[in-house]
Amino acid sequence: MTAEEKKGIARAKEIYQDRALRAKELKAEGKQVMGYFCLYPVLEVLTAFDIAPFRILGDMKEPITKADACLPTVVCPFVRSAFDLGLKGRYDFFDGVVMCHSCDIGEKASHIWRIYLDPSYYHFLDTPHTVHKAAQEQFKGQLEDFIKTLESFTGKELSTDKLKEAVEIYNRQRALVRELYDLNKSDPPLVSGTEIIEIMVALMSIPVDEGNDLLKQVITEAKERSDGPQKKPYRLLVWGSVIDNTALIEMIESVGANVVMDDTCVGSRAYFPVVETTDDPLDGLAYRYLVELKCPRTFWEAEYGETKKDYIKDLDSRFGYVKDYIKEWDVNGVILQSVRYCDIHGYEVPGIGDYLNHNSLPNIYIEHDYSEGALAPLRTRVQAFLELIG
Amino acid sequence: MSDEKKKKKKAINRLKTMYPLRANIDKGYERSVEATKAGKPTAWSMVNWWEADPILKAMDIEIVYPENYGAVCAAFGKAQAFLDRSDAEGFPTHMCGYARNCIGYAAKMKELGEIPSEAPMGGMPKPMLLLCSGALCDARIKWFQALGRYLDAPVWTVEMPHPGVEESQMPGVREKAIDFMVKELREFVVFLERLTGRKMDWNKLDEIANDLIAINKIWYDLNEMRKVRPCPMHSRDFWTCMNASLFPAGDPKEALRLYQDMYDEVKQRVDDKIGAVANEKYRMIFGELPPWHALKIFDELAERGWNFVIESWAYQAPKPMDYSKISDPIERIATQTYQWLTGYFEDALKEKEYMGYFAYPYIEWARTFQCDGALFHPLITCRTATNHLILAQDRLLSKWNVPAMIAEGDIVDLNLFDYADTMRKAEVLEEMMDHHKKVRQERGLEW
Repeated sequence: MTAEEKKGIARAKEIYQDRALRAKELKAEGKQVMGYFCLYPVLEVLTAFDIAPFRILGDMKEPITKADACLPTVVCPFVRSAFDLGLKGRYDFFDGVVMCHSCDIGEKASHIWRIYLDPSYYHFLDTPHTVHKAAQEQFKGQLEDFIKTLESFTGKELSTDKLKEAVEIYNRQRALVRELYDLNKSDPPLVSGTEIIEIMVALMSIPVDEGNDLLKQVITEAKERSDGPQKKPYRLLVWGSVIDNTALIEMIESVGANVVMDDTCVGSRAYFPVVETTDDPLDGLAYRYLVELKCPRTFWEAEYGETKKDYIKDLDSRFGYVKDYIKEWDVNGVILQSVRYCDIHGYEVPGIGDYLNHNSLPNIYIEHDYSEGALAPLRTRVQAFLELIG
Repeated sequence: MSDEKKKKKKAINRLKTMYPLRANIDKGYERSVEATKAGKPTAWSMVNWWEADPILKAMDIEIVYPENYGAVCAAFGKAQAFLDRSDAEGFPTHMCGYARNCIGYAAKMKELGEIPSEAPMGGMPKPMLLLCSGALCDARIKWFQALGRYLDAPVWTVEMPHPGVEESQMPGVREKAIDFMVKELREFVVFLERLTGRKMDWNKLDEIANDLIAINKIWYDLNEMRKVRPCPMHSRDFWTCMNASLFPAGDPKEALRLYQDMYDEVKQRVDDKIGAVANEKYRMIFGELPPWHALKIFDELAERGWNFVIESWAYQAPKPMDYSKISDPIERIATQTYQWLTGYFEDALKEKEYMGYFAYPYIEWARTFQCDGALFHPLITCRTATNHLILAQDRLLSKWNVPAMIAEGDIVDLNLFDYADTMRKAEVLEEMMDHHKKVRQERGLEW
């Protein structure tokens, strides 16, 4: 089978293993490719300008060497890895980058990227911390400025119709991803957690229309194949910071569990929220990206302006959707995981642990340093956790 | 007292006016505890760079700053037990040392039902509000949210936009950012009125907003005088006195008077050509917060002729601007805070430097304060204070031939600072500074 003939899950794996494969082909065909960091750069806007978005990720297998000269070792190793790849030329095919105020280190690393990599186009999308009405208006204003810079860079004017088309095609992708995840409600699941990572990374590396075709192939294949995942006694949900490499999930699945659901940003968190149809598409986009994306970098309160704190109510407002996933995907254990030095997830750990305990859901917290070598000691902990679930 | 001890004590010529100013700050902690005991509502607040402080003060709410209290616990050697408690509660050990100190404290306070007896300076009284700030770091939001485990106080977040350097200069961005802050602050006032059952005293707010602007102006002007040779004020005095500006918990008018006295003393030293270090050999930048538990290192370095003439951007007053045409106090407050955040951006863009806060000011100050070197103290548990320091080190050297050394440590955790190793590195830095001084002269730079 040649590379061109691969389809479905094999094609996703191929792109996962060589992320730039398709992007470089597109570039050779004259299409602009733009890197983006984190979930907050609004992809519909790039697509409406006929630019292919390409998510900036790291590489757990690549030792961080060059980034040490620009970023200290005590910051998020995922961000350091992504930046290291940039310095090593792995993202040289970009026509520009869109960065955002994802978290503090995401923000600072964006500015450092600008200084050391000097891209032809650079835009920093400031993202408010709250979801208040004024914050939504502010974020919409940020999107208007973002569009202005792209109009200047491309020499094109953005039409509302093009933006609405982009919203539709991304919503289709989100619906297809939801359909893919729904396949894992069955026992055994139809797609392994490892395959899910490969598919999600592939989606973030190719244009949205190609991603939709890929998803359709994957869904059909998963339904029809007979060699999918085996039934196992443990159905797990993995929560936490970015997972863009299969190693962690492979390790978990190798000790007798199926990862049937996730709440991470290269997974359901990136795709489940859809954009509401609004007269001005920027209203729907601002709402989806600021309010609906459930990353702990954003501050939510159970009730706007509450004058008394009810801890469980607060946790329910922040993690209630995880409880819903657990019910819908019939999960019997939760692995809370984070890369070391991720503050936004680190502060959440006791809280989500309390919430899961309150709902009698077994859980464990594991921390790693975004390297495959660090996963070996965690295997024993995961095994012990599975024994605990019984 | 031995001769050696006498000598060490004299290495830094501390400002006399620093002592009453500091005493007033210290009294503030005790006043907070007493006020709360007397039934006054108390807020635990993140440092918010004067965005929310005047509003809280105008509503007669006592403000306690757990970040500042973290430094107090570290200085009293009381932090370790609170850090250990935070770890035991399941919070990752790499988190902000101040946050871990506070979380451990809150957990202990909940367990005891009262302020822990080992808490220094009267402890932090139970709050009726937890006030987060959107400024700079993630801990400023996540930490207080996490305190919901131990405290039933509501949490509010004041917003602060963070535009990029180039984006900040786009038409309308400044206006939209300030308008956003104003809207959020008005919502905050409504919330506080509901929470406390009191009405905002707008005249009082107007007065306090002006007082804080005046404090910042005099504090800025005072620090500007440190550009002269020899520098009349050492960083030790800056760190000791910054609290009255950064944590305006006491009476602003009293703080203003004390800063005025300090200004006068520094001015006199400038006129008399008196330096903070007797033989100023190296004019130094200090990067990030100092090791509170090992401040004597400054004395030892002063003996070698090191005079620290400027320090971290985040704790400096904003560049002065004209606020007189802004009649609305809320807008004036938002404008000052935004000015602090973005005040260096325009200059940074001209220099094609894209980290307009934290890193760029060092680059500007190295020239304007004529610095020979920098001592950067990255804080292992504070990413925000750390992530720009390698960049700054690189830019200072490549742009101005100003070398910097990095001595890792922490704001609270005593184990993370290696005093002896820092002194060894200091000797190496001196050789580098001597070399690069010659290179600067060869390049025709002015210092």
